[in-house]
Amino acid sequence: MLIETFNLTRKFGERTAVDNLNITAEEGKILGFLGPNGAGKTTTMRMLAGLISPTSGYAVVDGIRPDKEPERVHEIIGILTESPGFYNNMSAQRNLEYFAGFYNLSDASAQIEKYLRLMGLWERRQDKVGTYSKGMKQRLAITRALIHKPKILFLDEPTSGLDPEVSQEVRGLIKNLSQEGYTVILSTHNLSEAEQLCQRIAVIRTGLVALDAPANLRQRLFRHQTMIKLEEIDERLIGAISKLDFIKNHSREENTLFIELADPSKHQPELIKSIVEAGGRIIEVTDKKHSLEDIYLSLLNEEEKI
Amino acid sequence: MTKQRIYNILKKEWQVMFTEVNSLMLVTLLPVIILAQGLLYVWLIDKFGGESMISSAFFQSVLQKISEIMPAVSVLTIPEQLQVFLLSQFNFYLLLIPVMIAVSFATFSIVDEKQTRSLEALLATPVRTWELLLGKALSGAIPAIIVTWICGLLLLLGVQILGWGHLLEYFLNPAWFIILFLLTPAISILSFLLGVIGSARAKDSKSAQNLVLLIVLPVLMLIGIQISGLVWFTTILTLVLAIAIVVIDFFVLKVAVRLFSRESIIISWR
Repeated sequence: MLIETFNLTRKFGERTAVDNLNITAEEGKILGFLGPNGAGKTTTMRMLAGLISPTSGYAVVDGIRPDKEPERVHEIIGILTESPGFYNNMSAQRNLEYFAGFYNLSDASAQIEKYLRLMGLWERRQDKVGTYSKGMKQRLAITRALIHKPKILFLDEPTSGLDPEVSQEVRGLIKNLSQEGYTVILSTHNLSEAEQLCQRIAVIRTGLVALDAPANLRQRLFRHQTMIKLEEIDERLIGAISKLDFIKNHSREENTLFIELADPSKHQPELIKSIVEAGGRIIEVTDKKHSLEDIYLSLLNEEEKI
Repeated sequence: MTKQRIYNILKKEWQVMFTEVNSLMLVTLLPVIILAQGLLYVWLIDKFGGESMISSAFFQSVLQKISEIMPAVSVLTIPEQLQVFLLSQFNFYLLLIPVMIAVSFATFSIVDEKQTRSLEALLATPVRTWELLLGKALSGAIPAIIVTWICGLLLLLGVQILGWGHLLEYFLNPAWFIILFLLTPAISILSFLLGVIGSARAKDSKSAQNLVLLIVLPVLMLIGIQISGLVWFTTILTLVLAIAIVVIDFFVLKVAVRLFSRESIIISWR
């Protein structure tokens, strides 16, 4: 594991921001931090990045304790903060040169050129950052996080406040970075973004609610359901379905049936045959997909009950 | 790597500062005003240092003091004695330049980082807090020191040009050089660090600027003490004062590094 935390806890006075958090992140994968506002996502990220220390517990990042050797951790990480700041009176290129100057880079100019071109900012590299749009600043901030070729990238709300087109661009970029071998820790409110990008998701609400791949979380929380849309549903049809012994559960929503089967691949054809025989006119048969939003809300509700 | 990082900070700070009109004005106008003011006073004594002025109680006490500490000036006329006195005080007055430039640069530098929210990204680089503070301190102290030295040189040139060259031997003593070459750098760095410490707590540039005034006050007191004759800074006393401030610089740097903790900046700087 590239990152591992052991009962990581951070308190601010009486308030506990992060409570006994135990998570792991694999090398070359994107781990998403999901959670409501104030859940401790940014605090966790800052502790992993060696910017603030835990009150108790600890983290290990690529074999280094960020609380003990923050400068060593800073060598191997790149961070996009929630509100990335720049020196607005300096050009984009000069801003990047300044930040690159803190690393022992032999090819800083080449790196800056590479990423400015990749981000579509090369033509405007000499413009003052103060004249940049929010989207351009965000792309520049990602460039800044990348110029020293970090092993791990921390991205805090990378698409927050961006228009849909730029958000899509940024997401594409993050996906590419993961394919290039970067380990990415992504904090986001955007569930579809997390679903598109993350191999694993840590749902955080002060403590860890769940940590797994979205598909596994889905499987854990929701049973498989077949969704059958019909022209009309009458009592005769419901009666016929109820007699089938492989149906574990069924419900109805207007002209759609949601049916839980013991073995979907084996029983689905039989079910359809029975419906047709009972006079049902089928419009569509699909598997019910539970979105990440369903998973997220279900996990938080489950945790609230506990 | 440390040298490279400090140089990196210096380069950037100067680039930002010297594109600011206020910083440029501070570095150019303030020394001109202070220098012109000093030369004007000496010229006024030369021109209007008549009996009525010299007979006042204040000048009488000053003359008394001069005769005690600078017996050699007794060969000069009374207005010349007063000119020597003013010129020997002038270096203390010049100390206002490094103090004001260094404190203003410090507050500008820190408040700018706060306002642009650039510090979190900077603190996520491998730069050490002391490297950052030293880089910033030097970026304020170096221009302040250079400008003060230029002022010292211009003062000597001015004295020569205005026909007071024969007075140089009376006030150009070791203390004069200690003030310029040891006390000025030490006070510049001290002022900058105090500016950093104070502005780390300031919420905006206005409250940071108020702080500048607070830090300038002790230097004004120093000038007041010297002029009032309460304590006369002889060569030895000036040297002791300069060394004491160099030592204080190290302690204040340590305090600044502690107060300027990454954690408090990241958590509380909004």
